[in-house]
Amino acid sequence: METTKVVYNVDKRAIPVPEGANELYVQPLPGRPAFDFAEYSPEEAERTGSSEYSYWRSVWRNFIKKKSAVAMLIVFAILFVFTFIAPQISKFDVFNLRIDDSLMFTRPNSTFWFGTDNLGRDYWSQVWHATRTSVILAVSVSTGQILLGVLIGLVWGYVRSLDRFFTELYNFINNIPTIIYMTLIALMVGKTTVVMGVSMILFGWLGTARNIRNLVFMYRDREYNLASRCLGTKTWRILTRNIFPYLVSVIVLRMALAIPGTIAYETTLTYLGLMDISTPSLGILLRNARSFFLNYPYLLVFPAAIVSTITITFYLAGNAFSDACDPRNHL
Amino acid sequence: MLRYILKRLIQSMITIFLVVTLVFLLLRLMPTDYFFTEDELMKLTDAQMEDRLRAAGLLDPVHVQLGRFYKKLFTEFDLGTSRRLQVNQPVSKVIGSKFGISMRLGLISLGISLLVGVPIGILQARYKGGVFDNIGIAYTVFVNAVPHLVFYSLVLTLGARWLGLPSLYTMRNPGPSSILPITCLSLVSISSYMLWMRRYMVDELNKDYIRLAKLKGLSTTKVMFRHVMRNAFLPLAQYLPYNILLTVGGSLLVERFFSVPGLGPLLTDAISRYDTNVVQAIVMLYASLGIAGLFLGDLLITVIDPRIRLTGKEGVR
Repeated sequence: METTKVVYNVDKRAIPVPEGANELYVQPLPGRPAFDFAEYSPEEAERTGSSEYSYWRSVWRNFIKKKSAVAMLIVFAILFVFTFIAPQISKFDVFNLRIDDSLMFTRPNSTFWFGTDNLGRDYWSQVWHATRTSVILAVSVSTGQILLGVLIGLVWGYVRSLDRFFTELYNFINNIPTIIYMTLIALMVGKTTVVMGVSMILFGWLGTARNIRNLVFMYRDREYNLASRCLGTKTWRILTRNIFPYLVSVIVLRMALAIPGTIAYETTLTYLGLMDISTPSLGILLRNARSFFLNYPYLLVFPAAIVSTITITFYLAGNAFSDACDPRNHL
Repeated sequence: MLRYILKRLIQSMITIFLVVTLVFLLLRLMPTDYFFTEDELMKLTDAQMEDRLRAAGLLDPVHVQLGRFYKKLFTEFDLGTSRRLQVNQPVSKVIGSKFGISMRLGLISLGISLLVGVPIGILQARYKGGVFDNIGIAYTVFVNAVPHLVFYSLVLTLGARWLGLPSLYTMRNPGPSSILPITCLSLVSISSYMLWMRRYMVDELNKDYIRLAKLKGLSTTKVMFRHVMRNAFLPLAQYLPYNILLTVGGSLLVERFFSVPGLGPLLTDAISRYDTNVVQAIVMLYASLGIAGLFLGDLLITVIDPRIRLTGKEGVR
C-alpha cells in the first residue's frame, strides 16, 4: 500500500511531497509550520548585518595556528633585541678596541666571549655590532624598497597611459646587472651607509613593482571594480580599498624575502669594498677573517651562526605570515 | 615575426647606446684626481698634471669627448686602451684574456646545476610532501636565507679543511683549484633550479589537462615526461640563453672570494682606478649580453612552444 507523504506549509495546509524528493526536501515538525511569524519592528528592519569578521584578527588567528612559525618569530625577536643588549654587556667598547698583538687569535674564553681576531680585538662586541648594523640597514632598506615598489606598482598597473613609460624604465634598469650601478654610485657619489642604502632602495623596487603591477592588472577590470567605478568611487579609494587587500600577502612575502636578501647584498657590497668600512659590519668581518677561517674556525662560526639564524627565522616566519595574510585562506 | 625581431633589435641598440652614454657621462663627473696614481699626485706639479690631462683629451668639453669615443668605436671598432689596469694594452685584449676563465667556470657550473637541479626539482614535485621533498625545501630555504658570502665561507672551510682542496684559484693549478669556486656557484644555482622546477611542475600538475591525461589511463611516467615536464621547463628555458651568455661576465663575489682572475671583479677594479675605457667596454659588454640573452630567450620559447607568439594582440610579455 502506498502512503502519500505530506508536509505542512505556513497556512497549515498539507502539501504532498513530490515523487522522488529526498529527505532534505522539507522537514518541519509534524503539525507545526515551517516558519514562525516575526513581530515587525522598525529598528530591527533597519539593522544591517555584519559578521564578526576582522581581517587582521583572522590573520593573527591563522598565524598562531602554525606553532613552528610562531617559534621562529620568537627566536627572531629575541635575537633582534639581543643585538641591542649584547654590545652593552660586553666588556669592550666596539669603537675603542685596542689592537694587541699578544692577544691575537685568543680562543673564546671568559674575557673574550667569542675570542679575538687577527689583531687581538674582542670579537664579541664586533660580531654583535655588525649584526645590529646589518639588521637595522636591512629593515630600513627593505621597507623603503617595498614602499616604493608598491606605490610605483599601483600607479604602473592602474594608470594605463603610464604603462609604456614604466615598462621602458624597468627594461632600461633591469637590462644591466645592478652591481654596475652600485659600483658607479659607490665610487662616484660616496660609500657612506646612507648613500648606499638609498641606492639600494632606488634600484631595488623593480621586482616588487612589477609583481604588484601584474596583480593590479589582474584585478583592476574585474566586475566589482567596474561597478565601483560606475558608482563614482574615487580612484584612490578603489586602489586602497578594492585592490590593496589582495596585495597584502604578496607584499608581506616580498618583505620576508627582502630582509635576508638585503643582508646578503649588504654583506656582498662591504666585502667588495663598496661600502663604508669604518664600523665593523658582517662583510668586513668575513673579509678580514677570510684567510684565517681554516685555522681559527670560530672566526667564521659565530657571525655565520648568528646571521643565519636571524635570516632563516625571519624568512620562515615571514612566509607563514604571508600565507596567513591571504584572505582566501581565511574562514 | 621578422618585423618584430627587427624592431626589437633597434630597441636594444637604443638601450645599449643610452646606457653607454650615461656611463660615459657619469665617468666624466668623477674628479680627475683618479687619473693619476698616488705617487704621481705627490710628485707632479699642477701644470704638469694639466698637461697630462689635456694630452689625454680629458679637458675637452664632454660632448667633444663623447663624439670622439663614438667615432673611434664605429669607424675603427676601437675601444681604446687600458690606462691603469694593464698599461697601454688594448681594452679588447684585457677583456679577452679574462673572459675565458669566467666562462669556463660559469658553463661548468651551469651544466652541473641543470643536470642536478632540474631532476631533483622533478622528483620533489613527483613525491610532493614526502621526506625527499621536505629535505629539498629545507635546502632551498637555507641557500636563499643565508647570505651567500656566509655560505661560500662554509663551503670553503669544509672543502679546504676536510677535503684538502686549494682555497685560492691559481693559474698554475687551474683544475683542482677551480673545484671550490664551481661548487659554490653550482650549489647556489642548483637551489634555484630546484625551487622553480618544483614550483612550475606543481602548478602544472594541478591543471585540468593533466587530470584528463591521468583519467585516460596514461602512466604517471608518461604524464610526467610527455606533458608536465615539457610545459614546466618552458619558463626556465626562457632564461637559459641569458644565463649562458652571462657566464661570460662571471660572478663578482665568487671570483673575488677565490681570487679568480676572471671578468667579474674587473669592473669594480676598473672603476676604482678610473680606467674609463675598460669601464665603458665592460658596461657595453654586460648590457649587450643581458639584452641579447633576454631576446634569445623570447625567441627560444616560441620555438619550443608554438602557442606562444611574440607579436599580436597580447603583446610582448
